[in-house]
Amino acid sequence: MSAALNETSADWEPLVVAFCCNWCSYAGGDLAGTSRMSYPANVKVIRVPCCGRMNPMFVLRAFQRGADGVLVAGCHPGDCHYSTGNYHGRRRLSAFKRLFEFAGFEPERFEVRWISSSEGDKFAEEMETMTAKIKALGPNRKMRDARWQSVTQSK
Amino acid sequence: MAERNTEQIEKIRDVVAQDLLSGRIDLLLGWEKGHYWWQSRPLFARSKKDLDKLVWDPFCAVNLSRYLPDELKIHSKVGVLVKGCDARAFNRLLQDHMVQRDRVVLYGLPCPGMLDYSRLAEEAGGNLVGLVEQNGRVILKTDSGEKEAERKDLLIEKCRDCLYPNPVVYDQMLFSPQGEKSAPERFKVVEELENLSAEERFAYWEKELSRCLRCYACRQACPYCSCRECFVEQENPRWQGRAYQTSENFMFHLVRAYHGAGRCIDCGECERACPVGIPLQELNRKLIKDINELYGDYEAGLDAELEPPLLTYRPDDPAAFSEK
Repeated sequence: MSAALNETSADWEPLVVAFCCNWCSYAGGDLAGTSRMSYPANVKVIRVPCCGRMNPMFVLRAFQRGADGVLVAGCHPGDCHYSTGNYHGRRRLSAFKRLFEFAGFEPERFEVRWISSSEGDKFAEEMETMTAKIKALGPNRKMRDARWQSVTQSK
Repeated sequence: MAERNTEQIEKIRDVVAQDLLSGRIDLLLGWEKGHYWWQSRPLFARSKKDLDKLVWDPFCAVNLSRYLPDELKIHSKVGVLVKGCDARAFNRLLQDHMVQRDRVVLYGLPCPGMLDYSRLAEEAGGNLVGLVEQNGRVILKTDSGEKEAERKDLLIEKCRDCLYPNPVVYDQMLFSPQGEKSAPERFKVVEELENLSAEERFAYWEKELSRCLRCYACRQACPYCSCRECFVEQENPRWQGRAYQTSENFMFHLVRAYHGAGRCIDCGECERACPVGIPLQELNRKLIKDINELYGDYEAGLDAELEPPLLTYRPDDPAAFSEK
């Protein structure tokens, strides 16, 4: 977490929170690990049962508490463990992404990707791309909770 | 004083008085005069005597359907006077299973659009003491004389782009319907904002939302905000912080608007209820516009049988993100 706080220093590193579906993307991350692929340590993975479980408040809260970018990863359409979770997720997250941009946040900060459990390489690649994009964009100051920094720094 | 539309009020009173006496309804939701002559507040009429206070004038903007879920807890049958937006709000509540159709009697009132006091006062210039309506024009009476203006220029914001002035659901229509309406400028402000850069949009919303008092009047007035426990009052997890700062303002307003995705009937009550004039309707309209673009035209509240777009899907849906 400390990396994300040194926002003024030149060696600033972004914090990316990746919400991964338990059945596909989280397993994809596992595969990336067991296949010894490397991806940036900026990414912190949070496991969710399904991308249909994603509540937009999770995303906003992540931004409030230090995230510079949020990625939601789920099964490819048609492959959902619960049959239709990602179809619902696609509609909800599309509507939210557009609203998020409308409020004036950079579109790159919030992304949704489909990553299956056999796509360890895609997992690593997406994490790489996302981190690079956020690094170029700079720290998230718009949605950061003003009290968050001082609390963590004093610890 | 606004000139009372005595003939129409008498007709409403006759119809509902009969139903109140016969026991068809236990309570009538209508409007009565508020503290000022240019305010009409909800009337909860339980007897024929209460109906003496009933009014139907250009200030009856309050959406009465919003009171139904609470009133149905204590009354077995409730009658409601519904304008176009109240009727669509009723469909909204019906879809959310917050009301039962057979316990509500809807009296339809085709709505000519409600007038905005601040616009009237501005137009009149001097001290506004009353008004008279004549064939689409309004004569404003001030201390110093009279002034005439177009009615459509004096409407409140939510009535300007109203597409459905006639109730879409009712048991009894009381007057003849208004003509068809179009709203070519419904998404104009949304489009203007979309054309700005992200930085400009953020500056706009940061400024507008900074006025938010977190009084939640928008939620109280809203027919889609019918949760028994709202996320802003949940203690564990405490989603909505109490602090006065940008991120908490965005948290509240984005989530409030998002909860109406595919459900908002665009009645504009949130914006009308807002004491600090935040353009809340633009957030709601942005969602309506996007969902229409992505998942096909859908007008919430028109038909209670149609499934809201965010409760369903098609396998070949488009997405707002790359699906490669």
